[in-house]
Amino acid sequence: MFSRRDFIKQGLIPVFAGSAVPSVFANGLAAAAADSPNVAPSDRVLVLVQLAGGNDGLNTVIPFADGAYHDARPTLRQDQGVLPLNSQLGLHSNLKGLKASFDAGQLAVVQGVGYPSPNLSHFASMSIWETANVKGGIGDGWLGRYLNYLDKVGESPNHALEGVSAGSLVPPELRSSTPVTALQSLKTFRLQPVNEHGTQVDVENPLMKFYGAFKGATPAPFGALLDATLNEALQASHALQATDATYQAKASYPANSPIASSLKLVAETIVSGLGVRVAHVTLGGFDNHAREKPVHDKLLLDLDQALSAFMQDLQGHGLGDRVLIMTWSEFGRRVKENGSAGTDHGTAAPMFLLGAPVKGGLYGEQPSLSALDNGNLKFTTDFRSVYASVLQGYLNAPASDLLGGTYEMLPLLKA
Amino acid sequence: MDHAPIATPPAARSRPIWQRPVSRRSVLATGAAAATAAALAALWKGNDLSDILDRVRDYTHGYQGALRTPRVRAAHLLRRAGFGATSAELDRYAAMTSTMMTESVLSYQSTSNAALEAQLPTLDLASDKGPTPGAVQAWWLQRMVQTARPLEEKMTLFWHGLLTSGLDKAGPAQLYTQNQLFRKMALANFGDLLKAVSKDPAMMVYLDTETNRKGKPNENYARELMELFTTGIGHYTEDDVRESARAFTGWTLTGGKQLRYTTDSVFNPRFFDSGQKTFMGKSGKFTGDDIVEMLVPLRATAERLSTRLFTFFAYPNPEPEIVRHLADTFQQSHYNVGALVREIFAMDAFYAPKAYRALIKSPVELIAQTLRATGSDARAYGAAVTASAAMGQVLFYPPNVAGWPAGTSWINSSTLLTRLNFVNAATQRMRSSSSGSTLDQLMSTLVDGSISPTTKDGLEAFTAAHPQNQAGLLFMVLATPEFQLN
Repeated sequence: MFSRRDFIKQGLIPVFAGSAVPSVFANGLAAAAADSPNVAPSDRVLVLVQLAGGNDGLNTVIPFADGAYHDARPTLRQDQGVLPLNSQLGLHSNLKGLKASFDAGQLAVVQGVGYPSPNLSHFASMSIWETANVKGGIGDGWLGRYLNYLDKVGESPNHALEGVSAGSLVPPELRSSTPVTALQSLKTFRLQPVNEHGTQVDVENPLMKFYGAFKGATPAPFGALLDATLNEALQASHALQATDATYQAKASYPANSPIASSLKLVAETIVSGLGVRVAHVTLGGFDNHAREKPVHDKLLLDLDQALSAFMQDLQGHGLGDRVLIMTWSEFGRRVKENGSAGTDHGTAAPMFLLGAPVKGGLYGEQPSLSALDNGNLKFTTDFRSVYASVLQGYLNAPASDLLGGTYEMLPLLKA
Repeated sequence: MDHAPIATPPAARSRPIWQRPVSRRSVLATGAAAATAAALAALWKGNDLSDILDRVRDYTHGYQGALRTPRVRAAHLLRRAGFGATSAELDRYAAMTSTMMTESVLSYQSTSNAALEAQLPTLDLASDKGPTPGAVQAWWLQRMVQTARPLEEKMTLFWHGLLTSGLDKAGPAQLYTQNQLFRKMALANFGDLLKAVSKDPAMMVYLDTETNRKGKPNENYARELMELFTTGIGHYTEDDVRESARAFTGWTLTGGKQLRYTTDSVFNPRFFDSGQKTFMGKSGKFTGDDIVEMLVPLRATAERLSTRLFTFFAYPNPEPEIVRHLADTFQQSHYNVGALVREIFAMDAFYAPKAYRALIKSPVELIAQTLRATGSDARAYGAAVTASAAMGQVLFYPPNVAGWPAGTSWINSSTLLTRLNFVNAATQRMRSSSSGSTLDQLMSTLVDGSISPTTKDGLEAFTAAHPQNQAGLLFMVLATPEFQLN
C-alpha cells in the first residue's frame, strides 16, 4: 500500500556544488572528503533538530494552491510571500535559506510524515518518535540504539562525545547504555579546582575516589550513575581541553537566538574533531494554540537563519559533506484553525533533511486537506521509513535491527 | 454533583508493605560483613591490597541502617519535607517521636514567617510590567533558604512542577501571583486548588484559556488538565477533550494591562458556552468547575496524585499497595492534600531503607541546601538563579507543560560538573569567619555522618593537608556523591 511513497515527484536536481569545493582538513580530521558518497561512514555526523511542541506543518510547507487550505485557515493562511517548491507547495516566507538549499538540491522535504493511530498528547507522541516505537515508553532512544551498536561493533566504545546534545538535558532519543554528553559550552565544560591563597588544589582525583567508593557501596541508589557520569564528564573535559581552541565560526550566527547558539556549539564540536557522531538541538515554542502567527513566523525565521549559518560555517570549514541535518516534531497541527487564531494538536507534518549528503527534492505525498480523520491529516509516510533510510543509507547501520522492523527505504540521500 | 464511590480501605490481612519493619536480617548481615572487613583490615597491611580493602570496606559501610538513628530520621524528613536542616534543627527534631516530627512539619501555619518576610526584597508589583523574572526567581529561592515553614515552600515547588506555567508565555507578575496561590493552597482540597488554578492568570495565559470562548473552543487547558493534572492518559477520549474545552470558556483576563502582565481574571457570561456538553458519559450544561468536580473523584486521579506525591517525597515507582493505600486515604479525606501528605510521612515506607537517599537532589534543592550551609546574600541568589539554568531547572521556566522530568535526568556530565562548580563557587564566596565547623560537624549535619569510609578518609586527608581551607573542606563535603542525593 505504500508503493508510491518513495516516489520522487519533484525537484530532482543533480548536485554538483558540493563536489566543486576543495576539501579543507580541519584539525583532527584526517578523513574528511569533498564528496559525501566518499565520506567514510565513521566521519558522518547526524544533527537532529527537534521542533518541540508540535510544528504547524501546513504553515511550514504550505499547500498554497489548495482552496481547502485557505478555507481552513481564515486568519493564519499565508497569502503572500510563499516560496514555491512547485505549482502546489511552497515554503513559508521566512524559510529563505531552506529555499536556497532546495534550489541547490540540498533539501529533501518528506511530506505527510506520521504513524498509525496518532497520539495527540505531546509527551506520548514525543516518546513514540524518540523511541521509534508506537507504544512509546522509557526504552533506549532510536539513536541511543545506534550508539549502542557503534559500541558493539567496536567503534570508539564508551566515547563520551560520540553523542552530544546542546543544552542541560540528554534527550530521550539519545538515551542508551553509552555515555552521551549534554554540552552548554566547550570552555566551561570542566571541573573547577579549589582555590587556596591563589593556588589551585586539584580535586579531580579525590572526587573520583569518592564516587567510585560510593558506587561500590550496596545498595547505593544512583551510585553507578553518579560514578559513571563523573568519569564521563572528566574524560570529556580532558578531551575538550586537549583540543586546540582554534574554532572560529566561518559564518555569522544570529544573536539572541538559542537555536543559533546551539547549532554553533554543535559546529564547534564537529570542527574541533571530537568524534561526534550524533548531535541533538531543540527549538521549542511550537505549541501555538493561540495567536500563532507572530510566534510561528519568528520561530521559522530563527530556525532558517540558524540553519543557514550552521551550513555556511560547516562549508567554510570544509565539513559540509560530512553533516546531515534532520528536523522532526511530535506532530503537526489541526487543519482548521481554532477560534484563538491558533491551532490545536494535529497529526502528520513534513520533515526536512538538509545538507550536502541529501538528494534534494520533494518526497512522499502531500496528505489531502479534505479527506481528514477527525479534522486531522492522514499520514502518508511512516516516520520510521525516514529513520530507516537515514540509519541504513547515511549512517551505514542495520536499520531493521535498530528499529525492530523493516520499513520502506526512501532514496533521500546520495548513493 | 455526584462523586464516585469512595473505596473502602483494604482489609487487615498480612501486614502491608508500608508497615513492615526493616528486615532484621539485612541489618545483621551488614553488621557481620563489617566485622569481617575490620578483621581483614587488621590482617592485611600491604599497600598492593589497599584497593581491594577499600572496596570491601565500602561494600559494608552499611548506611542502610542509617534511618534507625533518630537524628538521621529527622535529617531525612527535613530534606524531603523542606530544604535540609541546621545542626540545631536536627537536635530539636531528633528529640521528637516520628508522629511529633510529622505534626511539627505539617502544622506550619502556626509558625510565624515574620523574620523571612522582613528579609525579603520588595517586589515591584505596582508598575505596568511588574517585577523582572530574575527578581521573582531570586525572591522564591530566598524563601526556600530562609523560611521557617519549609513544607509550605516544598509543596509550592511540587505544585509548580505539576500544575505548570512558565515565563515563556506568562509574565513574571502572573507567575508570582500563581506562586502565592500555590503557597496559600499548598495543602488544600485538590478540587478547590484545581478550580482556582483554572482561573489563575498565569495558567490562563500558559494554556490559552484566556482565548477559549464560546464558539471558539481552545483545547489546550482541557487536554492537559486530564493528561497531566488529574487522570493521566488513557482515561478520556478526544471527544472528552473537545467537550470539556467548551466548559472552560467564559473566564477572561481583566485590568487593562498587556495580556501577560495582567493579574486578574473575571467570568464574562457572554464568552461562556452555556450549551449542552457530553463529558465522560454524562451530559449537562457544564462549567469548568463541573468538569473539575467530575475529574477529582476518579480513582485514576487519586492514584496519579498519590504516585506523584509519594515519588516527590519518598522514592520513585511506589509499590501498587502503597499507591492503593494512599489513593484510599485521599478519597476518604474528600480529596484533602494535607491528609495525603501526612499519610506519606506517617508510613513506615517513608523511613524504609529503600527510601534513604533514593532521590536525586533537584537543582533547586541542591542550591537551597548549599546556600543554607554557606550562608547567602542577595548576590548569592542572583548567581544561583544563573547557575540553575545550567543545572537544568530554572524556576518559573519548566521545559514544557509536563514540568521537569526529574529523577536520573538531573544527572548528566554537564549538569554534574555545573553542580560541583556551583557548590565550589558558593563556598569560595563564603566569608571565612562565618564558618569554623569541624569535619565531624559538617559530615553530621550535611551527610548524616553516613558516608563511605574511602570518602571519610579522603576528607580527613584534605583537612590534614589544607588545615586552613575551611571553604575547600565544605566544598569537598558538598561535592560528595552522598550529598547529591536527598
